[in-house]
Amino acid sequence: MGEALQQQLAYVGYGLYLLLIIAGGLAAVMSTSLVRALMGLILTLFGVAGMFLLMNAPFLAFMQILIYVGAVSVLIFFAIMLTKTPEGEAGAENMLEWIGMRAGLAVLAALTPAIIMATLIVKKAPAALALKPEVTLAQLGEFLTGPFVLAFELISVVLLAAMAGAVVLGFERRKGK
Amino acid sequence: MIPAMNPLVLFHLAALLLLALGLYGITIRKTLVGMLISVELMLNGAGLALVASARLTPASDALGQVGTLLVMGLAAAEATLVLAIILVVFKRFGTSDSAKISTLRG
Repeated sequence: MGEALQQQLAYVGYGLYLLLIIAGGLAAVMSTSLVRALMGLILTLFGVAGMFLLMNAPFLAFMQILIYVGAVSVLIFFAIMLTKTPEGEAGAENMLEWIGMRAGLAVLAALTPAIIMATLIVKKAPAALALKPEVTLAQLGEFLTGPFVLAFELISVVLLAAMAGAVVLGFERRKGK
Repeated sequence: MIPAMNPLVLFHLAALLLLALGLYGITIRKTLVGMLISVELMLNGAGLALVASARLTPASDALGQVGTLLVMGLAAAEATLVLAIILVVFKRFGTSDSAKISTLRG
């Protein structure tokens, strides 16, 4: 395949993944049903995984799908289902009373940093290099257990603490002792 | 194609879009679960920006990828804890609506 054609296909892929991200992200923040919002989040996560693939980082794309789509989404789904109200609405958002000033303020909160940073990115960005060769899993592992071993150990401690904290918080004291 | 639109800028703009969507969501959502979803969006944007910076600039490649892996681990830990916190709040208040979770009247 020619170099130019490959370049064009990469842009097409980028557009496709960007479309996934936009559609999913809008569903995630706009939808009144939280289950639909979660589906939008999952769509966005797949889009980001596709972008990792475009940048020739297949391990990260795989981890993205494994950790985010596989674990975090399921956790959020548990949160939605376990906070069901007695009226039966499974985590519905009442957006209607928020239309108006709140929506305007939310748009302001989102656009202010976005516009400032977008200007900076477009004006100051260095020229992109050609894509470097893929980092192999062995290199990543060596990096993680060599110079980054402290961060590696700390993240396992953080995960353990989070898990223990979740168990302690969720522990139900028996009533009427 | 505009000259400034190199792949690095494109990926960073996508990450920025995720940040903006997350900020909008966390401001407008009323329930804690909705806010959690918005936080995940923002964290994913951070990961995307990290990988783009590592892959397309002279910066260390492995550093960016390992950093993104750590962000993913932190997101998983954060989601676990927030799930537990939402459960406790729901048990105590009977709702996960952030406007109704208050013990002071006024």
